[in-house]
Amino acid sequence: MSASAPRGPPDASPAYYPGCSLDGLGKAYEVTAQLVIERLGLSLDRIVDYNCCGATEVKNLSQDVSIALPARNLALARSMGRQQVVAACNGCVYSLARANDAVADPATRGRINATLEKGGAPAYDGAASVQHVLEYIYARAGLERVRAAVTRPLAGLTVAPYYGCLYTRPKRYTGAGKTPGTDDPEHPHFLDELLEACGAKVLTDYSAKTICCGGGHALSDLDVSVAFGASILNEAKRAGADLVATICPLGQINIENHLDRIRASYGDEVVRPIAYFTQLMSLAFGASVREARLHDNFSRPDLFFRARGFP
Amino acid sequence: MPIVEKSLVEVDRTEKLEIDGIDVSGEWNTFLRSRVQAHLDVRVSDWVKGQPQGETISRCWQCGTCTAGCCMHTDYGLTEFNPRYFIYLAQVGYEEELRKYATTVWRCVSCNKCVERCPKGVKVEEVIHTIGSYLELTGAAPESPADRFDRAYASNLLERGILDEAALFRTYERLEGRKTPARDLMRMGLALLRSGRLHTGPFAHRTRGWKKMGRVLRENLEADERRRRALAVRAAPPNGGRP
Repeated sequence: MSASAPRGPPDASPAYYPGCSLDGLGKAYEVTAQLVIERLGLSLDRIVDYNCCGATEVKNLSQDVSIALPARNLALARSMGRQQVVAACNGCVYSLARANDAVADPATRGRINATLEKGGAPAYDGAASVQHVLEYIYARAGLERVRAAVTRPLAGLTVAPYYGCLYTRPKRYTGAGKTPGTDDPEHPHFLDELLEACGAKVLTDYSAKTICCGGGHALSDLDVSVAFGASILNEAKRAGADLVATICPLGQINIENHLDRIRASYGDEVVRPIAYFTQLMSLAFGASVREARLHDNFSRPDLFFRARGFP
Repeated sequence: MPIVEKSLVEVDRTEKLEIDGIDVSGEWNTFLRSRVQAHLDVRVSDWVKGQPQGETISRCWQCGTCTAGCCMHTDYGLTEFNPRYFIYLAQVGYEEELRKYATTVWRCVSCNKCVERCPKGVKVEEVIHTIGSYLELTGAAPESPADRFDRAYASNLLERGILDEAALFRTYERLEGRKTPARDLMRMGLALLRSGRLHTGPFAHRTRGWKKMGRVLRENLEADERRRRALAVRAAPPNGGRP
């Protein structure tokens, strides 16, 4: 977003960048995000031939490849006639926004476009803004419309809102806090308000809101990623949460992947069910536990909700 | 050049403190023999500045905001992971001291809190990774688990344009010589299969028309790595930074 704020009126139906996770391990996020967007009367257009954004890994090897990968997706969105791109994964938002920052420099843009052309992709003009799906839902639908869509309030549910690291960080790439429709980079609150609108009790002072889950090193530095996953759950327990809500597939999968290790080192009582915020919103909008794909999550929030009488 | 780390000189330090064979123990304000740091070599910082990911290093004014909020330093408690100090050592070219952290620098988890907060616009996270690359490419540090993961990741995604998560997991386990018990793999594989999430091998997702782009980007990646390595080796002092 930093490279270019939207020019002109917003897209009626912005381009949607799913990223690898949402077509793979994070399928529950994909399905429920679509459900929520549809119920709120919004629409997104999928970038069909998207490619992986390179996350935080490729940039450590090659600057130009790490810009070309996301730039190809942004270029596809532009050739769909869109100026807004919505992504659901924090890592994708980061790398798309980082590419925008890099191509604001004309020399870099020229070099990247030469690479894209050689590979058979359209050139990128640098004019697509990037937004997280949480920001998109919050800013475009608004809390009133969310409240109106709720048919089964999440009453009695205490949720720890976990945003993770790259949702709005760093603002020099994402434009967070200084561009309309973006969340606050140090104290994000969009998730808190959306879940409150769904009737849940949200722990707004949850201290692990924006800590890192260690997902970048989920496999390469187990000690660290287990410790961070445990902190996220431990803080949720301390604050009295029934459940942790996530907005990033990497965070969700990293914590869930380490549940056995966390149990072994920190005890069974720190473990909480973990679910994508769109799964929780789907439930509030009347979807069944099965439709919200809560059985997909290794932390088994489906059992949790069934025990509370959700159909 | 003055004493590098003030924390080495503490008011109530009682044991003998030697730096480079010179006894510098004593109480604060007592007379210390003056020391000259003679083997600094700015070629490290020139290399880091020359990389697009590292060019902002020269803006650093050593306030330490990055380190105060760093999750590795503060939350995880690995106090020797000190991005401010790594930047300082690279800036002044104290290569010998920097090499002491050869197996620490790679542990940055890329949470970007430092980039968010830096008052001078240093892209700290990218600078730290660039310093890590320098250490690795010059042979001062072994290829770290994160380096191996980055390469396996890039190679996997360039294959089809979309990541094959299960294949990346298998490749990486092999690289690290780790083996998840077959029972756990089966359990996870079945869970993924049942929920329609096991897209691997022949069933992996792919980007239509990716072949050409994949080839071009792979060539770029390899050329970049060769160029970075050659420049780093040329930049590294021949005596390994020792005086």
